[in-house]
Amino acid sequence: MASPRFPRTRAWLDETARSVWRIGWPRTDKDRAAVMISSFFLHLPPARVSRHVLRPSYTLGLGLISAILFGVLTVTGLALMLYYVPHPPEAYRSVMDLQSVVTFGVILRNMHRWSAHAMVFVVFLHLCRVFWTGSYKRPREFNWVVGVVLLLLTLALSFTGYLLPWDQLAFWAITVGTNIAAYAPVVGDQVKFLLLGGHVIGPMTLLRFYVLHCVFLPLAVAVLISVHVWRVRKDGLSGAPEGSKPVEETAGVFPPSTKTWGLMALTRRPTVSVEARDPEDEVFAWPHLLYRELLVALGVVIALHVVSLLFMAPLEEMADPTRTPNPAKAPWYFLGLQELVHYSAFVGGVLVPTLIVVALLALPYVDRHPRGVGRWFAPERRVANAIFTAVVAVATVLTIIGTLFRGPNWAWTWPW
Amino acid sequence: MSDRERDSTGGGRREFFLTGCAAVGLASAGFVVSTFRYLVPTVLYEPPARFTIGSPSSFPPGSVTFLEDRRLFLFNGQDGFFTVSSVCTHLGCNVKRAASGFECPCHGSRFDENGRVVHGPAPAPLAWYALSLSPRGELIVDLERTVGPDFRLKA
Amino acid sequence: MRDPQTAPPRLHLAFAALGLGFLAIFSWVFFKEQGAEWRSAQARFRKLEATVKNPHQLAQSAGAAGVRQVWLPDLDRVDRCTTCHLGVDDPAFAKAPALFRSHPGTWLTTHPVERFGCTVCHDGQGEATDYAHAAHKPIPGVARAMRPLETIEANCGACHRSLEPRGAPRLAEGRRLIVESGCVACHDIPGFEGVSFRGPGLDSLGYKVRPDWLEGWLKDPKGYLANSKMGNFRLSEAEIAGLRALLLSQKAEAPQVADVDWKKADSANGKALFGQLRCVSCHAVNGRGGTMGPELSRIGDKVRRDWLFSYLRDPHREQPDTAMLQYRLTDTQVRDVAAFLLEEYKTPGGEAEAAPAPYQDAPAVAEGRAVFVRRGCYGCHKLAGIRETGKIGPSLAGVADRDPDQLPYGGKPVRRTADNYIFLKVQQPDSLGAPSLMPTFSFAPAQAAKITLALASLHKADLPASRVVKEAPPTPYRPRGAFGELVTRYRCLSCHRIGGSGGDLSTVPLDRIGSQLQHDYLVAYLLNPGAVRVSVEARMPVFHMLPEEARTIADYAATTFLDDDLDRYDTRFTPAEVSRGEQLYRQLGCVGCHQLNLQGGYVGPDLSNTGQRLRPGWTAAWLAAPNRYKPGTLQPDYGLSPGDARALTAYLASLGGSTSRAAGKAASATGGGHP
Repeated sequence: MASPRFPRTRAWLDETARSVWRIGWPRTDKDRAAVMISSFFLHLPPARVSRHVLRPSYTLGLGLISAILFGVLTVTGLALMLYYVPHPPEAYRSVMDLQSVVTFGVILRNMHRWSAHAMVFVVFLHLCRVFWTGSYKRPREFNWVVGVVLLLLTLALSFTGYLLPWDQLAFWAITVGTNIAAYAPVVGDQVKFLLLGGHVIGPMTLLRFYVLHCVFLPLAVAVLISVHVWRVRKDGLSGAPEGSKPVEETAGVFPPSTKTWGLMALTRRPTVSVEARDPEDEVFAWPHLLYRELLVALGVVIALHVVSLLFMAPLEEMADPTRTPNPAKAPWYFLGLQELVHYSAFVGGVLVPTLIVVALLALPYVDRHPRGVGRWFAPERRVANAIFTAVVAVATVLTIIGTLFRGPNWAWTWPW
Repeated sequence: MSDRERDSTGGGRREFFLTGCAAVGLASAGFVVSTFRYLVPTVLYEPPARFTIGSPSSFPPGSVTFLEDRRLFLFNGQDGFFTVSSVCTHLGCNVKRAASGFECPCHGSRFDENGRVVHGPAPAPLAWYALSLSPRGELIVDLERTVGPDFRLKA
Repeated sequence: MRDPQTAPPRLHLAFAALGLGFLAIFSWVFFKEQGAEWRSAQARFRKLEATVKNPHQLAQSAGAAGVRQVWLPDLDRVDRCTTCHLGVDDPAFAKAPALFRSHPGTWLTTHPVERFGCTVCHDGQGEATDYAHAAHKPIPGVARAMRPLETIEANCGACHRSLEPRGAPRLAEGRRLIVESGCVACHDIPGFEGVSFRGPGLDSLGYKVRPDWLEGWLKDPKGYLANSKMGNFRLSEAEIAGLRALLLSQKAEAPQVADVDWKKADSANGKALFGQLRCVSCHAVNGRGGTMGPELSRIGDKVRRDWLFSYLRDPHREQPDTAMLQYRLTDTQVRDVAAFLLEEYKTPGGEAEAAPAPYQDAPAVAEGRAVFVRRGCYGCHKLAGIRETGKIGPSLAGVADRDPDQLPYGGKPVRRTADNYIFLKVQQPDSLGAPSLMPTFSFAPAQAAKITLALASLHKADLPASRVVKEAPPTPYRPRGAFGELVTRYRCLSCHRIGGSGGDLSTVPLDRIGSQLQHDYLVAYLLNPGAVRVSVEARMPVFHMLPEEARTIADYAATTFLDDDLDRYDTRFTPAEVSRGEQLYRQLGCVGCHQLNLQGGYVGPDLSNTGQRLRPGWTAAWLAAPNRYKPGTLQPDYGLSPGDARALTAYLASLGGSTSRAAGKAASATGGGHP
């Protein structure tokens, strides 16, 4: 290689870079490993990953996409906070201003809304993926629980944010949603009273939802995402490498690893490493994993931009408590429940949601069968997969019915 | 590293990477610019800085009118109209008309007929604002344009 | 260890592609923002401005770049229309393309944009900055799209709350129609609190009307009276039978029949009296006449003889609130007029009048009472024994803001707006799907549209007091004492205005009549009102007033209805002035419109007796500036100098000596009868 030009400038830049990032641009294997450990922002992935991790077809990157969407939502949300006023009727007017006068306000609002809907959907897909690959089983039970809590928090974030534009759509969707919640036995009305900050949806409700939406829930989600990813690191990725030796289980203890860590030289068995993997399968996270993650991020952002440029986030007239639109629909992710509520308030409002949540949380502690982890639709898990798929299908159908096929007075209607 | 791999990393592949970097870099620069433009408010929820105060015939020649809610003195002098702010440049009280000039009751600043400081703690002269005529012939004050004491509007 | 140090080449390709895609998308975002509708509109305006305005004036709009808004915190509105409508306040753009054209008329002088914005008058969504979202045309999700210009006066009415707002003729007409049609009898309407509406009392209906007429009337009032104020209540046969039973059983007081020998009634005399009393000034017959009172074309079908006699003798006893005056007639004269009316104005071949039969049908009467209450008849008609339970119609407060999606439209193919609902309801109350108690008034579509305008100005939200414009209605003029009694008896205010209140049948307000007419002439005129203008149809009726009554009125006028400016005029004329006036009379061609000694035109009054009729101060003032006293008069304004006006006045004041015809009239003032 010829010697580079401006050697002294380059040397100075190099030293300054090193003072900030401790490692310069990695050019050796040692540096590639070190940069993953010494940089704060890069400390999440391990220094080396199984090359099979790089396959998109296993996890479909859904967890990553969820996290990217959360990041987009945080950034766009912070920007929107500079113009949004959380007090009716200025709330509506400020959203109108964002759409009509604020420079780039339209695209920002659209991006926030569409990424919110996308996040709910992607998180749901991620849950399905984890189930269908059996990745909730030991030792990942608690991570599954954290994930379910994250799902609920995501729904809560979307729900609290739905009210903020204070238009007819928002107001009545939240009316329906909080009324469904009120069906909970014993505590239902209290919960509704606390949520609303009163008996009716008014300025106090908006303020509570705003603070929940911008402070409490994002903090909780951020903390839990960190825990979630931490557990992924520690529990290891469940995708079984192709052609690798099947994992052997020793009664009651984690599978043995062929790898020892220098720091663990004092013990014979590592206490935290859980991956059974072949060193031959590994590649450095820098650049392989990170580059792919960057591409996924770019793709997601581009897709969000395109959607935001093509589709406007809805804004109807200002909320009017005296005029109910007919029909008044909950946000789309609750429309399956609203459809059930149409048949029976108790079943749809209390029974089914409780059952679903309890079932999801208890799942990894009930299903102790260790086989079938790491493969899509493993035959050993036929029954579990069948049950889950059936429930998902029913939920999807109910949601589609509620969205498209229900008109005024919740009567059947054709959407065309 | 085998030769095959080394070859495959040279040539146009590197160009793709650099193209990608350049594109993302440019887009990021645009992102920063758009963030800044986003932060600049485009509309202000305040009383307008340019406003009409009435037709010239409402202010007889030789008159001095104090427009209380606008904090302005409007003069219809020999050579034309001019307007002087009544906001004292010391700490913002309303000055009063004195025998000649203006006086501020708060800390005793005194100004001459042109608003220049004669006495007292005020650091700067009273502001003169631009006057103009609307297309319908009414007087417009523009608080965003200050003018010198030789400004007159003939109306 | 297989670990290539760099990523496979396809990833670099992907990175390049995605990077470029990202740049492309971001550029699209930028261009979308730059290409915002309002920016291109402002660019076009700059170009137009350079061709239209003086370069010095261009500095005016220098501060006009960017979104322009008018913020009205007291009205809770933000209007950004002027972001694109940049020339609206500048007369220089009168011929510009529509977007930049200056606002027509002088509306922006009285309603400057910075104090009113645009949407208070035009509706629409002022916060938007593009054509579609500003709701120039209706869009889903926006309640108030821009109003079509024909209905814009509805928004005038939101702030201008008086009953006759100036500058909004259709709105004023709509409010007038509401007052006249008696909507307040059933509905509480904000802004019409002081208005009351009463139909005739029904307490002696059994004596008043013929039963067969009553049935026809209840079925369809407009069948009898084309301009009846009562609407068609769409009553069923059973309801009509019940009401008929109820109303005909009312016999509060027997009319004063006394001894009337109907066989001796002289219809010819009645006809002459009918002409003299000028009944047609208020009552139309056969399609011609005034509209203050009901049409009399078929009065013979309706009323009983005895009642008509009693009524004509003293209308105020039967109907205390009526606008009709009480003539001073003898019983014979009353009998003759009644006989004439009943003979002349009826459907040919009708049945003779039957004696009133007592009604014994108690269930029918009870049913009638129930109908009377259920349909809210008591809103307009007093009837003894009925418990009035408040207005039966809903309050119309906020009617313009009712939820259009909850309103019925009767399946008609109209846009679902509150305005359309009001229009349909006013025209055809029972055609909107739900049964309605409201009668059908058969308004012409234009009338219904004006009423809709007036009702569409009734909003739910309150305006801040600084925005409401309500001229106080003139305090009604109620004179007292002997003069007051005469005014009440002869109902002067039904036709004349004094102090701003009264009727408009006469075009002569009486506020300065004492300074206009000479006292003796006025006395003579009241006793025998002749034609002042041949060409004008309306005439003052012959009241058959007593001489002392006429004198009381003239005395009062001479001391009270004065204009000091007119009375100060120096009436010592010289012969030179008189002859100069005669010269001017010829020069100006007054004979073209005015009669003088049987010569001349018929447009203006006969001037032969001016010396005894008019007071010179008035004549001089009138000649100098006729339009000041009667805007739009046919009398030309010659631009006379004060000297010339004085000369003409002197000449006219010399006319009408004792040899003239008019003097003869004045001398033969008699009471009762006629010369």
